Amino acid sequence: MTIATPRIRRTPPVPDLADIQGGILRAYGNDYSRTTYLFVNVDETRAGLRWLGRLVDDVTSARPWTAGKPATTLNVALTYDGLRALGLSAELLATFSDEFRAGMAARAAQLGDVGTSAPEYWDTPARAHVILIVNALSEDDLTGRLADLRADLGRYEGLSLMHEEHASLLPGVREHFGFADGFAQPAVEGVTDEKAPGGGVRDKDGWRGLALGEFVLGYPDESGRDSDGQDLPSAPAGPLGRNSTYGVWRKLEQDVALFRETLRTSAAAFPGGDEEKLAAKIVGRWRNGTPIVLSPDGPAADFRGNDPGANDFLYHDVDADGRRCPLGAHIRRSNPRDSIGFGELLSFRHRMLRRGVPYGPPLPPEATGPDGQQRGLIFVCYVASISRQFESVQVQWLEDGNVFGLGHDKDFLIRGPADGSGKMTVPGEPPFFLGPQPTFVTTRGGQYLFVPGITGLGAVAAGTAG
Amino acid sequence: MTVSEPGTAVGTATGTGAGNIDGQAIAITVFSTVKWWGKHWLPLLFTTLRLIPPLTRDLRKLSFIHFARWTLIRELPANGDTAPRTRLRYPHLFFESNFNDGWEEYIDAFSYVLTRGMSLFWASSYGFPGALPTGPFKDYIHRNELEAAHYYSAYPEATATMVRKALALAPAVADFAERAVRLSPAEFEGAWSAFLTDAQDLL
Ligand code: HEM
Repeated sequence: MTIATPRIRRTPPVPDLADIQGGILRAYGNDYSRTTYLFVNVDETRAGLRWLGRLVDDVTSARPWTAGKPATTLNVALTYDGLRALGLSAELLATFSDEFRAGMAARAAQLGDVGTSAPEYWDTPARAHVILIVNALSEDDLTGRLADLRADLGRYEGLSLMHEEHASLLPGVREHFGFADGFAQPAVEGVTDEKAPGGGVRDKDGWRGLALGEFVLGYPDESGRDSDGQDLPSAPAGPLGRNSTYGVWRKLEQDVALFRETLRTSAAAFPGGDEEKLAAKIVGRWRNGTPIVLSPDGPAADFRGNDPGANDFLYHDVDADGRRCPLGAHIRRSNPRDSIGFGELLSFRHRMLRRGVPYGPPLPPEATGPDGQQRGLIFVCYVASISRQFESVQVQWLEDGNVFGLGHDKDFLIRGPADGSGKMTVPGEPPFFLGPQPTFVTTRGGQYLFVPGITGLGAVAAGTAG
Repeated sequence: MTVSEPGTAVGTATGTGAGNIDGQAIAITVFSTVKWWGKHWLPLLFTTLRLIPPLTRDLRKLSFIHFARWTLIRELPANGDTAPRTRLRYPHLFFESNFNDGWEEYIDAFSYVLTRGMSLFWASSYGFPGALPTGPFKDYIHRNELEAAHYYSAYPEATATMVRKALALAPAVADFAERAVRLSPAEFEGAWSAFLTDAQDLL
């Protein structure tokens, strides 16, 4: 089943790349091996406005670089508390989405951030105001830029640097469990159309990218695409409602030793004893990224996630019962494509642009147990609606299994219920039951963010946003 | 499955007022005023759908819906002496449904999957913007929706999908248990494995 083709055929809107912040619609790329998040609190509004006013000109936009890659990039995201601290009016504040206003910590019970993942155990500030995102090509570039930013902050009384979170790519762009990560992304119409097969949605004419408004505010989304631009998705009033987006920031600690240990012990009972295959069943991809639905017996040696067509696959016709890729595999849950029925119609409104980066040193392959180091993933995604695109994926697809006919089973890669009752079914002849489910991932921090367009950020700094 | 006190379960249902949620279940109650011709149109539509079941196949395939019901209301029944039976000046379409997961997902399914059906049900209602695009349709439903004063689910942890699977699994288990007593340990191993293979999508 495909989506209805619009009555009115329009050329897709052109994104205002000079005003949209960089790193959202397209990742900056793997040359930027280092990312630091600076948490700044604004204790005094006037100081905050002056500081931001100077920073605006340095913010990196989404405009393509003509003179090569800059050594560092700078982006600015704000929390709801931050917008309040910067003096936005109550009327304007009321136009932000409910979940953003509540903040991530307040949503902990729904998001599954309970037990050791609860906000009281987080090691990053639960209340923050401004997060600066700095990307750098090299360690030296990073050190220099951070020193400048810290010195700049020091010039204002009434601002405090609360926390620094340093993240950096691992060799081969893997995450800590050892899987290639970050390449399966939604295709955005007019921006990344080349990713449309498998990354967009099908209408009568075949695959097309998703409407820009699914990811950037101020443009028609998939609902408004058909209404001649009249029906824009809900967004904050005034200049903040254009070229802006919502962001989700989560610090997810990964217990790599436990993951390896679980694979080792479980594989002993798994048919064939194949640890790599079991790992691929949990994620839905082999370590190099090859989707197991396409290649059930082993990875394709030449698979490259960024190749056009690398992400061009569906589940329903080839693997409805999950004998190749389990219904509960991480990528089949987080983007079920056509596996919950009616083509992609029940999943295509729940896509996110993921921009996560790992933190902490890799656990050496020869390690036989935990090494006491902290490591994990700074999960970042950008969406036009946090509730529709992030929360419903997290709550209904990862933290529960009902939609997939898996009862209350949770995503095995992430975490099981505290009472150890969790499991994962790996369909087969006979099926294999993986369990009890350990907790590989613990939430250590989180923020719901708003990333204004550059004009909007300027208006905040000038006190004219409303 | 653990069962907690009715009405106390923290479920995964999302996207609507707290009064409409009990555990995994969500209630939706929508009243809309119907134009004069609706009182002829809606009974005709209801009868047609009842007579030709394939027309509602997609609706029944959406497994997170427990049931959905549309009714034409032309008068309010008497409620003691204080509120006598009242004939409504305009007929109303009363829609009620119980489902799992999220409010947005539910209305999305109505918009994208059952587009034509939804347009037929609400065709005669004032202010109906059409089932697509979803934005105005969601606003319309929100405007006409009533939050439940009291909503109760006897099995708040259960979902329609789980109940359906459990009902299908029960006879298979009973049958296997009956056969199992007659099997040797060696035969049992093979039979158990075959049973798991057959029943795996119900487990
Ligand atoms: C530490 C925690 C996590 C790890 C280690 C992890 C790992 C991975 C890996 C290895 C992939 C496959 C590579 C790729 O498609 O780019 C992937 C895909 C994905 N993950 Fe995660 N992930 C984590 C948490 C999350 C969370 C919290 C969400 C969302 C709420 C999420 C959403 C997704 C999505 C949407 C995809 C793409 C699926 C597709 O389009 O086929 N992940 N993840």
